[in-house]
Amino acid sequence: MSRPRRERASGWGNTAFGMALIAPSLIGVVAFLLAPVVLVLGLSLFDWRLLARPEFIGLANYQDAFGDPTVGHSLLVTVLYVVISVPGTTVLSLLFALLVNRQLPGMHLARALLIIPWMATPVALGLVWSWIFDPARGSINVALDLIGIDGPAWLSDPRLALPSVAAVHIWQFAGYNMLFFLAGLQNVPLSLREASALDGASSVRHFFSITLPLLRPTMLFVLITNVIGSFQAFDTIFVMTEGGPGNSTEVITYLIYHKAFRSFDFGYAATLSVILFVIILLVTLVQFSYFERRANYEMH
Amino acid sequence: MSAPLRRRTFLIGCAGTVLATGAACDRAGGSSDGKVELVYRLWDEQQQVGYTKVFESFTAENPDITVRMELLPYGEYWTKLTTELAARQGPDVFWLTVDAFPDLVGGGVLAPLDEELKAAGIDLASYHPNVVECYSHEGKQYGVPKDLGVVGLLYNADLVEKSGVSVAEDLTWATDGSGSFLDLARALTVDKQGRRADESGFDPKAIEQWGFCSWNHGQTQWMNWAASNGGVVQAEPYGPVSYTSPEVLAGLTFGHDLVFTHHVSPDGTRTNPPSGQATEMFYRGEVAMYPANNALLPYALDEVTFPIGVAAMPAGPQGRTVVINGLAEVVSAATSHPEQAAALVTFLASEKAQRLMGDAGYVIPALEGAGDGYAAYWKAEGVDVQPFLDSAAGATINMPIAAGWTGRLPEIERAANDLYLDARPPADVAAQMEQLANDA
Repeated sequence: MSRPRRERASGWGNTAFGMALIAPSLIGVVAFLLAPVVLVLGLSLFDWRLLARPEFIGLANYQDAFGDPTVGHSLLVTVLYVVISVPGTTVLSLLFALLVNRQLPGMHLARALLIIPWMATPVALGLVWSWIFDPARGSINVALDLIGIDGPAWLSDPRLALPSVAAVHIWQFAGYNMLFFLAGLQNVPLSLREASALDGASSVRHFFSITLPLLRPTMLFVLITNVIGSFQAFDTIFVMTEGGPGNSTEVITYLIYHKAFRSFDFGYAATLSVILFVIILLVTLVQFSYFERRANYEMH
Repeated sequence: MSAPLRRRTFLIGCAGTVLATGAACDRAGGSSDGKVELVYRLWDEQQQVGYTKVFESFTAENPDITVRMELLPYGEYWTKLTTELAARQGPDVFWLTVDAFPDLVGGGVLAPLDEELKAAGIDLASYHPNVVECYSHEGKQYGVPKDLGVVGLLYNADLVEKSGVSVAEDLTWATDGSGSFLDLARALTVDKQGRRADESGFDPKAIEQWGFCSWNHGQTQWMNWAASNGGVVQAEPYGPVSYTSPEVLAGLTFGHDLVFTHHVSPDGTRTNPPSGQATEMFYRGEVAMYPANNALLPYALDEVTFPIGVAAMPAGPQGRTVVINGLAEVVSAATSHPEQAAALVTFLASEKAQRLMGDAGYVIPALEGAGDGYAAYWKAEGVDVQPFLDSAAGATINMPIAAGWTGRLPEIERAANDLYLDARPPADVAAQMEQLANDA
C-alpha cells in the first residue's frame, strides 16, 4: 500500500528537485527573455509616455510607423550597414581562417589576437575607435598626415560615418567568425586536396570548386548569425556617433533607443522593435530556404 | 530517507534566499535612532565638490539629516531618473531643467513646496523671476530656484589678439548681415592661404579658422537670434510655440546664413548634435567666438590652452535679449522623508547656501544680488564675467515650457539640424519645428 505512494511522492520530489535546479536559468529566461517579448508585443498597442498612463490605441503606432520618414530612413541606413558589414565580415573571416589554418609559426598567437576584438567590451572598443578616427589627433589621420594626405573627418562626414562604423563592426567580428570557418576547414579531408592536385587543379580552383562548397553549412551559419547581428548593431554606434552626423548612422536599433529613452515614447519604440523582429525573421527564412536547396554536402 | 530531507532543506534554502533578496531590495534611508540619509542627485562633477561644503553646513544645522550625493552623467541622468520616478523610486531631492519640468509635474512625481517655503520664510520674489516661473505650475511652486545659466559670448583671446582686432562690449547684428559682430567674425575667419574672410581672394571652401560657431543649439544660439530680433517663440508658459513668425524665422535664418552666406562658421556636418564637435572645435582653437551658458566656463578653462574672454551676446535689431536656463532643486513626491527633504531644499534656497556655491565660482545664484561673489571669484582667476551678470539683469527669455516637451525637443532638434546642413529652405524647417512643437 505504502510503497507506490512513497514512490509517487519521491517521483514528485525528483521533479521538484529538478525544477529547483533549473529554476535559476528558467527564471532568467522567463523574466529577461520571454516576458519582455510578450510585453513589447502588448506595449506596441499602447501610447505610453512613461510618466503618463498607458492608453490603448490599437494599431495606430503601426500606422504612424509606416508613414514615418525617419523610420524609412533608419531602415535604409540599417540595410546599408548590413550590406557593408556582412560581406566584409564573411570574406575577412574566411581569409583569416585560411591563413591561420596553415601550419606556420606564430599562428596560435595570431588566432588569439584575432579573437580579442570580439571578447572586448563593445563600449570600450567604440571609445578607442573614436579616438583612432579623431580628425585632428586620431592615429589614422596622423599616419596619413605623415605621408602628406589630409585625412577626412571619418565620423563627422555624413558620407564616411556609416562605412567607418561598419568597418569597426567588421574588425570586431571577423576573428570570431574565423573560428567557425576554421572548424569547417579542419573538417575538409586532406585526401580531397591530394585528389584534386592529382587531377591538376590549382589551389585557387581547389578552393572555389572543393573547399567553398564543402563550407556551405558553415557559411549558412555565419551568414545568418551575421545578418541578425548586423541588424541589431547598436553599442559601438551608440558610443561612436549616436546616430549622427545628422541621422546618417541612425540604424533602426538606435532609433528605437532614441524613441524609448530620449523621447520616452515607449509604445512607439515597442512598435519599431516588433517591426525589426519581423524583418529579421523574414530575412532569416529566406536565407534558410536558399541554403536548404543548395547545401547538402554534409561530410561524414 | 536522508535524500528527501536534503532536498527539502535545499528547497527551503532556495525560498529563503529569494525572500532575503527581496528584503534587501526594500530600500529605506531611515533608521531607528531618528537619523535620516537623503539622496541628492546631480550631474555636474565640479559642482559636486562645492555641494560637499554646502551639505556639511546643512548637517551642522540639522544633525539628524545627512545627504548622500549621486552623480550621473547628463546623458544617463534623464533616462535613469525618469524610469525610476515612473516606478515611484529614485532620489529624494534632485536637479531639474525646465525642459523636463512639465512632464514630471504632469506625471505627479514632484512635491509642491509652497507651504514649506512659506514656513521657512523664503520669499520667491527675491529670486530671478525667470527661474521661479520655470518651476511653477497651476499656481504652485515645485522647484527651489538654484542658479541661472545665462548666455554670453566666449572668445579665444589669443586668436583675437593675433588678428589685431578687439571684441567690443556692444556688438550688433542685423538680418541683412550688417553690424559689428559679423565684421568681427569675418576678420577672425581665415582660409588655408591665410586670407581673412574680409579680404579679396578668400576661399570659403578651404577655411582653417572660423570666426564664429553657428550650430544647432536652441539655448545658446537660435533662440537668442530670434529673441533679439523681436521674435517671440512662446508668449507664456504652456502656450503655443511659434518658429514661423517673421521675426523668429529671420533669427533661425541668420543662424543658417552665418554658415552658408557669410561663411564665418563651420557647417552641421561638424557641429550637428548629437555627435557634433562644436564645443570641442572652440576648445581646439578652430573657432574664435563661441556662445555659451556661463556654466560651461569652468569646463572650458580645463580644456583650453588659451585665455578665454567673455563678452555679451551681440545686440540684434530689437536690442539684446538672451536665454536664461535656470536650474531648480525639486523634491520627489515618492520620498519617504518629505519633512527632511523640505528642510534640505529650503536650506539650499537660503542666502547662505546660494552664496557658498556662488562665491566659489560654481554658479550664478538664482538669489538676486548674490552674484558679486561669483564675479569676484572669476576676476581672481583672470576672467571678467560681468557680461554674464549684466545680461542676466537685462532682457531675458526662458526656454519653452510645454507639456510633453521632453518627447518633442529631441524631434525639434533633429529637424533643426537641417538648417545647418542647408538641406532645405529655413522656412520649411521652421514649419516642421512648429508642427512638432504643437501637434498633439
